Amino acid sequence: MDTRHRVFQILAFVVTVIVLTGSGYAIPAFSRQYGTSCTTCHIDFPKLNDFGKAFKDAGFKFPKDDETFIKIPPVMLGSPAQKELWPHTVFPGTIPGIPQIGLRFNQFFQYTGSSANKYNAAPQGGLGSLQSPLIPNTDFEPGFFSIFMAGNFGSDIAFWVDDDLSVAGLNANGALGDGYLRFVNVGRFFKLPTDSFTVRVGQFELDLPFTQARSINISPYDIYSQANFGASNQNVNNVIELADAGHGIEFSGGHQYGGYHYSVAVVDQNTSGQTASAPNVASPTGGSFGGVGFFSDSNYKDIYLNFSYRFNLEQDPASRHDIQAAGATGPRDHTYLSLGAFYYEGRSDQRFSGLTSGGAAAVISAREPFYRVGGDFSFNYRTFNLFGLYMYGHDNDLLLNSTFTGFLPGAAATFNGGFLEADYLVLPWVMTIMRWDRVQSTADFLNQAGSANYFSPVGTTRNRYTPGVQFLIHPNIKASFEYQYRPQQTVFYNANGQAVNPFRTNTATGALEFVY
Amino acid sequence: MKRIFMMMMVAALVAMMSLAASAGTISGKVAGVSGESVVYVEAAAGKTFPAPTQEPVIDQKGLVFQPHITVVQQGTTVQFLNSDSVAHNVFWPSVGGNKKLTHNLGTWPKGEKRPFKFDNPGAVPLLCNVHPEMSGYVVVSPTPYFARTDKSGEYKIENVPDGSYTVTAWHEGAKNQSKPVAVAGDTKADFTLSK
Repeated sequence: MDTRHRVFQILAFVVTVIVLTGSGYAIPAFSRQYGTSCTTCHIDFPKLNDFGKAFKDAGFKFPKDDETFIKIPPVMLGSPAQKELWPHTVFPGTIPGIPQIGLRFNQFFQYTGSSANKYNAAPQGGLGSLQSPLIPNTDFEPGFFSIFMAGNFGSDIAFWVDDDLSVAGLNANGALGDGYLRFVNVGRFFKLPTDSFTVRVGQFELDLPFTQARSINISPYDIYSQANFGASNQNVNNVIELADAGHGIEFSGGHQYGGYHYSVAVVDQNTSGQTASAPNVASPTGGSFGGVGFFSDSNYKDIYLNFSYRFNLEQDPASRHDIQAAGATGPRDHTYLSLGAFYYEGRSDQRFSGLTSGGAAAVISAREPFYRVGGDFSFNYRTFNLFGLYMYGHDNDLLLNSTFTGFLPGAAATFNGGFLEADYLVLPWVMTIMRWDRVQSTADFLNQAGSANYFSPVGTTRNRYTPGVQFLIHPNIKASFEYQYRPQQTVFYNANGQAVNPFRTNTATGALEFVY
Repeated sequence: MKRIFMMMMVAALVAMMSLAASAGTISGKVAGVSGESVVYVEAAAGKTFPAPTQEPVIDQKGLVFQPHITVVQQGTTVQFLNSDSVAHNVFWPSVGGNKKLTHNLGTWPKGEKRPFKFDNPGAVPLLCNVHPEMSGYVVVSPTPYFARTDKSGEYKIENVPDGSYTVTAWHEGAKNQSKPVAVAGDTKADFTLSK
């Protein structure tokens, strides 16, 4: 029996399991609290429907009359009448009646094209040297086991903490995802329009036009994972990727389900990827606390801006302005067109051993301004969603002068790219996906280093096509399949710099995921 | 003498007729399931019953249909109220298992009602397509003779004219059970349902 037959049998088995399984409900944190199904907020979790977006905007609660929907009453941290005594008492709040804990686990099965081993086709070392292990055609892999906690403490203060307890079965690989407090609609204290001003503090995924951390896709968007390393004649070493979590504060307003939405974030900068832990100054997590020291590697803070406007296209004004549109057969997501733009800027701080103008030894710093700018759109009609994003990255280049006393401007290191994705919910439990990722980076080509996903790109432009299909076995259990048609890569170049025997390492990945 | 005899005959006839039209009760127990069940008398040939004028209300409140089970006589109009500040819709995939009778009432704002007249007998499972956990039932009885059981499964249908009927017991998630019952005064009919 050849491998294709085996893969087909496995897929057939999974589909059979799906077909034979009955209905059920997801019970993560909010499902438990409100006694409602995952599908109240999600289309093919974790993708949010319009109501889910409103729930999130409101600080993880129902936008109106939240208390009438909660099945497990919150615990009062003081009588409501205590509010009248403030500031002579602690302002009372609430905590959820049960710990708002959800857990997630996923696992993968991947079929990899046989060309995966071409990257090590050339033997390393002398005759008889031990070589790298084989890349298998098929592989079962445990994925992420994550814990997430979210809810509302009353007074419109929301919280979220999620952490990967283990990745690929190794506890050491886990890390905090998001961890923040969100003060919703604080603009009410300044008599600003409702929901026009909200503050979030902590570690969080930037307010990206399309989330990476809570994407339905198995593989990440390439442009979100794009760092900017200049070519060998450049001095650009910026590890920042747009998908990185930010540490800082964010101001936002508007709604995700219609009208305007904006966010302004000020976050730590770390373009070197290294953290400091100076013996003479302990960071809050350093010193006797046993932490890891500072996160930033510069005095500068990065700024991220995002603005979008969503036009709901229903003719009926009441339906157009409501959280969900009123369809003939029930509420549904709006038909909408959303347009947006985003901008990220910072200064990449690189410190060198140099000289003062007087010839004394000194540490000299190159502060290279950089920015990422882009636009995005999303069009939704019923259960069809077409969306895309384009981004341009630009890092100024400062080269050490010949006397090591300062810097000279060089050619900026740039890249651009984006993605286009179409999601179509064929049935409430079947999602089909088609995605195109594109990254154009001359420096990556010259460096022969694409990313973790690629060995060595053949051209300056990397295209990846990723069709996929996902099945909700239950609202909280999902089987996902994705085929990645990857960019060309190569091992050898001839004297003219032309790729020799370029190849693609395409992969087919299946994932089983559940949350509870 | 002849006149007295005639009067006695008429009196006897009236007495016999009134005896034939006397109302009895059907009582018993629904076993095999726990919780509330519904027992109703199926339609009898040649007998029709006027539709009630009262219109019971089923509310959607806190993502729950309230009450969970509503029993009505065939021809009754039920008012569906939305007391939630979120959008709902009410639909049912079948009536009495007949999928051709599926219907969707659509969506309406908080505080408003939408009526529907149930002209077909059988159990109507109420669903909401945005909150799949929501579940309710309208049990449409072909006759005005129906009752809900108490928690122990006991029921009593009163004022059933004596005669032969088919009586059906319904319980959420269980298979219906029907049996012939000859009503003559107080009559017993027990059911054992299974899922």
